[in-house]
Amino acid sequence: MSSITLAFSSKSKHPQRRDAAKGVRQVVALSTLREGMRGAVVAVHAGDNGRTDRLFALGVTPGASVVMLQTFPGIVFLCDQTEMAIERSVAHSIMVRPEEIRS
Amino acid sequence: MSCHVVHERANGAPRALKLRARPLRVALVGQPNVGKSVVFGRLTGRYVTVSNYPGTTVAVTKGRALVGTEVCDVIDTPGVNALDGTISEDERITQDVLASDQSDVVIQVADARNLRRALMLTPQVAAFGKPMVLALNMIDEAYSRGISVNAAALAAELGIPVVEMVAVEGRGLSELRDALACAARPHVPTQRHASGRAVWAHELTGRVRGTSKVSLAHLQEALARLTRRPSTGLPILAAVLYALYLFVGVFGAQTLVALVEDGVFGRGINPAATWVADRYIPFPLVRDFLIGEYGLITMGLTYAIAIVLPVVATFFLMFGFLEDSGYIPRLAIFCDRMFRVMGLNGKAVLPMVLGLGCDTMATMTTRILGTPKERLIAILLLALGIPCSAQLATIMGILGGISFAALATLFAVVLGQMFLVGWLAARVLKGERSEFILELPPIRWPRIGNLLTKTQLRVRWYLGEAVPLFLAGTVLLFVLDRIGALAVISSAGRPVVTGLLGLPPATAQILVMGFLRRDYGAAGLFQLAHGGQLTGVQAVVALTVMTLFVPCVANFLMMVRERGFRTGFAILAVITPVAIFTGAGLNYVLHHLGVQF
Repeated sequence: MSSITLAFSSKSKHPQRRDAAKGVRQVVALSTLREGMRGAVVAVHAGDNGRTDRLFALGVTPGASVVMLQTFPGIVFLCDQTEMAIERSVAHSIMVRPEEIRS
Repeated sequence: MSCHVVHERANGAPRALKLRARPLRVALVGQPNVGKSVVFGRLTGRYVTVSNYPGTTVAVTKGRALVGTEVCDVIDTPGVNALDGTISEDERITQDVLASDQSDVVIQVADARNLRRALMLTPQVAAFGKPMVLALNMIDEAYSRGISVNAAALAAELGIPVVEMVAVEGRGLSELRDALACAARPHVPTQRHASGRAVWAHELTGRVRGTSKVSLAHLQEALARLTRRPSTGLPILAAVLYALYLFVGVFGAQTLVALVEDGVFGRGINPAATWVADRYIPFPLVRDFLIGEYGLITMGLTYAIAIVLPVVATFFLMFGFLEDSGYIPRLAIFCDRMFRVMGLNGKAVLPMVLGLGCDTMATMTTRILGTPKERLIAILLLALGIPCSAQLATIMGILGGISFAALATLFAVVLGQMFLVGWLAARVLKGERSEFILELPPIRWPRIGNLLTKTQLRVRWYLGEAVPLFLAGTVLLFVLDRIGALAVISSAGRPVVTGLLGLPPATAQILVMGFLRRDYGAAGLFQLAHGGQLTGVQAVVALTVMTLFVPCVANFLMMVRERGFRTGFAILAVITPVAIFTGAGLNYVLHHLGVQF
């Protein structure tokens, strides 16, 4: 297993606002995000069959913003403007830094 | 869009089009479902099937376009997510076009909403060393989602013309034509590593794209949500299937067929043909050839035009609507787990649903699947269990008239068999399943123009493809009947057909017809049932066998073309006994239980 991580400091538009409120949040797998939660991709762990290539090609790259749309029966999330359905094991390998849910 | 960027690089001198030994070859390349085929259609005036899901184009299409005073060859290619690393078969086709002299200039078509993704592809296209133009398509949808792209800044950074387009409306088309003359090799990172390209694309996008939170696409988003959530999505699926049944099974297969078969053919064409033949054709053989039991007009043409055409036309119309709405890929979310048992993943729902239109086309569409094993299983299941449009509708026409239970029994048995065979194939065959990663197209209201064009094209394709085969099949049956071979086939098939399956002996020849075209056989059954020669149980058994039975000649040839002779025959060898034994088992069980329908 290798992973491709990029030194993307969270280049959000309002880093100070979020960081001030929450501090730096932990990196978690996409599969742990609840519906409606947002985040930014930090890394994609490689599978054994070109998983990283395929996800990269679809725009799931470090820095991409994601929104979890649905977790059952399959995982559906929005990556930038692309809606994507993936199986759970793939979602385990996408590491994201979640944002707090907007109230 | 002006070419000032390029001109500056070429020392201010606008590049003139040169005389060439052959037309300039322009390839349209881009991610799936960004509208390459629409741009192609607009440039060349040639329509190629356009749908709202990735993988509609799985082979190249060529056409001619006039650019300025020069004639160009334009090539439409299958959508690509990547051109290096792990790529699928349809992506390899595009790779070949770029690598060979099939293309001199490349237009990268991009979805303006997904600029970052498009830019990740640009260096990979640029690596082939051809001059490029970037077409930012669907700029209107990007705006409605609060996204704006500074095309001039992007053109300056890339050093190639960037054209904003709304291809379905023809906007930006003349700009694109003009830009071709200024195509250039872009300034992109040359590194082959995907993560390096990702950083570059991310940063460049950040510089040229503006976003606001305002989205005007509320209705679309709400529909997208409703169709993918199980609590609303499954009822919607049921409603869609019911609408399909009403429109195709009832309106097409019953109302329209009755109108054409009994009206146009029953009262018009056939009596007229008989009258003419009786009066003017002195040879009984020729008369029979035209209007006899296996007559070209009374059987061949009647089957093709009266029974199958209304059904196919209604189906294609409804199907085109579903295709263009972007609904079909959403079914993959529900199917993924089920398909995994069969060694596939949810993505396989695309070829499977397409198979309901035509199994031959769908066999080609399996190219979008990730691994050879998945393709083989999908091709096998298509040949085994997916009824094509015409067959589906004759099934609905026959069984819908009997009872809903009859229809349900058939589908339960066929789906059960597909599941079983798929499960076994997943275990027996070597190879891997690929992971389920599928892009979902946005929900859109279909454009009526495209819908009608597409339906008309498919109906014409049906007429061109099926009618000659129907006629040829009728000629074959006529000859077989005359030389007494039909009687031999019927009596040879009797132990199986009458004994095992409990069907009337006449069904044997219908199964032979079914190999020529499935719908031809189904039409034969339709007439048999219409004439009251089939009981409910017999109809269910016969249609089940016909559905599972060998695919039509065209589908078989496509299997051979895509997977080779050995695989083609191996699939036949699996399917034939499965079909017959399932039919026999069903017949046994239904009789044993005393089911009447």
